[in-house]
Amino acid sequence: MLFSGIPFLYYFLPCVLILYFLSPKKLRNFTLLFASLFFYAWGEPKYVILMAVSILQGYLFARLIEISKKPWCKRLFLILSVAVSLGLLGYFKYADFFIENVNALTGLSLPMLKIALPIGISFYTFQILSYVVDVYRGTVDAQKSIVKLGAYISMFPQLIAGPIVRYSDIETRLTERTHSIDRAAEGIRRFIIGLSKKVLLANTLGEIVAQITASTDVSVLYFWLYAVAFALQIYFDFSGYSDMAIGLGKLFGFDFMENFNYPFISGSITEFWRRWHISLGSWFRDYVYIPLGGNRVGKFRHLFNILVVWMLTGFWHGAAWNFVIWGLFFAVLLVVEKFFIGRFLEKTHLFKYIYVLIFVLISFVIFNATSMMEARFYISAMFGGKGHPLVSSEFVYLLKQYGSVLVLACIGSTPLVKIGLNRAKKSEIFSKILNVLEPIVLVALLLLCTAYLVDGSFNPFLYFRF
Amino acid sequence: MKETLKNRVLVFGMAALLLGLSAVSWFHAPNAYSDSERRALAQFPNTERDQILSGQFMSEFEVYTQDQFPMRDRFRALKSWNALFVLRQKAVNGLYLADGFVSKIEYPQNDRLMNHAAERFSYLYQTYLQGMKPYLVMVPDKNYFLAKQNGYLSMDYDKFFAEFGEKAPFLNPIDITDKLEISDYYRTDTHWKQEKIIDVARYIAAHLGISIPEDYTESTLSHPFYGVYYGQLALPLPADEIRFLRNDVIDSLKVTSFDTGMPKEVQLYNEEKGAGKDGYEFFLGGSHAVATIENAKAENSRELILFCDSFGTSIAPLLAQGYAKTTLIDIRYIPSSMLSSFVEFENQDVLFLYSTMMLNNSSGMK
Repeated sequence: MLFSGIPFLYYFLPCVLILYFLSPKKLRNFTLLFASLFFYAWGEPKYVILMAVSILQGYLFARLIEISKKPWCKRLFLILSVAVSLGLLGYFKYADFFIENVNALTGLSLPMLKIALPIGISFYTFQILSYVVDVYRGTVDAQKSIVKLGAYISMFPQLIAGPIVRYSDIETRLTERTHSIDRAAEGIRRFIIGLSKKVLLANTLGEIVAQITASTDVSVLYFWLYAVAFALQIYFDFSGYSDMAIGLGKLFGFDFMENFNYPFISGSITEFWRRWHISLGSWFRDYVYIPLGGNRVGKFRHLFNILVVWMLTGFWHGAAWNFVIWGLFFAVLLVVEKFFIGRFLEKTHLFKYIYVLIFVLISFVIFNATSMMEARFYISAMFGGKGHPLVSSEFVYLLKQYGSVLVLACIGSTPLVKIGLNRAKKSEIFSKILNVLEPIVLVALLLLCTAYLVDGSFNPFLYFRF
Repeated sequence: MKETLKNRVLVFGMAALLLGLSAVSWFHAPNAYSDSERRALAQFPNTERDQILSGQFMSEFEVYTQDQFPMRDRFRALKSWNALFVLRQKAVNGLYLADGFVSKIEYPQNDRLMNHAAERFSYLYQTYLQGMKPYLVMVPDKNYFLAKQNGYLSMDYDKFFAEFGEKAPFLNPIDITDKLEISDYYRTDTHWKQEKIIDVARYIAAHLGISIPEDYTESTLSHPFYGVYYGQLALPLPADEIRFLRNDVIDSLKVTSFDTGMPKEVQLYNEEKGAGKDGYEFFLGGSHAVATIENAKAENSRELILFCDSFGTSIAPLLAQGYAKTTLIDIRYIPSSMLSSFVEFENQDVLFLYSTMMLNNSSGMK
């Protein structure tokens, strides 16, 4: 079930809100757990058991780690839990990738398993891993209530697309949380903004991306338009989903971490990754990069650490070589920045932004390609390597058709609106006007999103496959 | 308005809206058919165990909730309005408004389906029409007059006509493009207007070696005509009106349909159908697999075989005046291989009359 769908908005969510607020406080975690399992079962009836097993092993091993006295025992339970988590992730997400590559390398014909990817497995597996590791490190206590732990791991607002919420961030909220009109208003505001980003911008930008595959009239600028449209689509798609998750979290009394912070205004790739999918970046930093030694090691070990982390980051996104290359592409850029051009970039003004945007656009072409051959073709075409004309009539038409959406998306990907609103709020008159307009605009946006959902069949969700 | 009051308005207003629309969604009786979209609406899916476990129930439920959403047409109108007039998009769902006409982008040229149409025509020629001299009329769709001029993606129609002619060299083309203009088409529908194609009919008739009258009495169907694009675009546009031509000969024409395998007399102008879901079915009661028009007042014994799509239903009464018998065949509704069971092919005049839209989307031709 997608947040940006009629079944969620007008069937599931109202029922859950009513049930949740009618429940006695002690039963609210159970209500959340039940609703989350139903939410998950709606999309993946068969895989509810898999998630239940994952939750159960996380619960048991964390408890065993906590009650064990001997360090080797704690370590053993940690290893077992990590092995189960990664084993399940590896089997359900990566088995066919490995079989395919073994076959290619050895000439064998091992049969593919053709396993459907359980929705959200990458997200909830990482949450379980971080929880068990944190218990092992002693930074959090093992949760004694399976209902509370289950509610944390399966919580539907962040279940299928993050942010990757740390247990430590919501531990106290699982036991004691407050609800208020102001928090609810904040949650609604955030949810509707996220929904609008997804439905009105990302889906419309997705139409441009989809059209290139059917195009008979391509050009160099058409391929650039494709790259820009996809980069904006994935940003509004994913950040919209994160906004909806954060908004829903607030409605239910939780504060999830921010996942995006206007990444396209970054002045370096290093900064870009501090602003893009923040919860994933910080997860890899805390649970892979730093345990490997981080930057407090020799130069070559440091380089190795960076390559490992970014290869894994790419691989986390999908079981295909283009994702691995995508991750390594960023690793190379980060290394180059760290050791060669970082200081130079800081001194430049416009160049650093152009540099980031060009490499980020190229990275997303790799990300969205179905194969490396396709990625090579698209990137070559962007730079005129395929002999296409500079402009084509389809490119001109698409600009006319989607020009306003592209402009809105470009503005929306910067903090301009936020800065403008904050300035306006400093004036008493504008502040009053904004207070009147805000509920009207939000209602209008919800109705408009509903109109697009009622009429539209184009509603993909890019991060669903992770 | 203070912050606290604003938040209260927002929370309670939004809750009322969400719960109100939800309640109507849950409890209103599902509609079976959408008149505006001319299609059956999804119904509540099957709740069998296998359907649920396979996820099929969930997929179908999503479609059901979209189709049965309260005030669906108004929400669709809101989307079109926002896309066309707020975001200033050129088209919505491929539909656009230009010069007061609604049209659907027909782009790009589909060589595969053009080949399919040509291959079907070749089969008909080889199987039934050897020794005859069949003609081909390609009716340009509305984009021919609107698209390029208004900045929309457009096929190269000259190339299209030339290439289709090369694919079907056994057909003798009759070029009617200079006889038509956009005002000859309905504003909200794909089709041409009967009262505007007298010159086209006379021009084709001349190529076929017959003559048909120039003057007719023009009547208007009392029911407003909302064409196929009206519902698809979902905007409150003014309705078209169907006008139709009459004279003594046309009034005496006898139409027989063979849709069920048995002959059944149908009306030449069917007012009931004109007031129905697809008003263009006013002409001959819509498209038929095989139908004949007999002309008791014919001045000769010649016959016409008219292979056509729905554009043929409005021009057929005009052409039929020049023949003792006109047989309309629509190979979307009958396999070409079965035609000999219904039609005797023996030295008749033969005309293929198809819109460019049909030739470019011919997958339905059997």
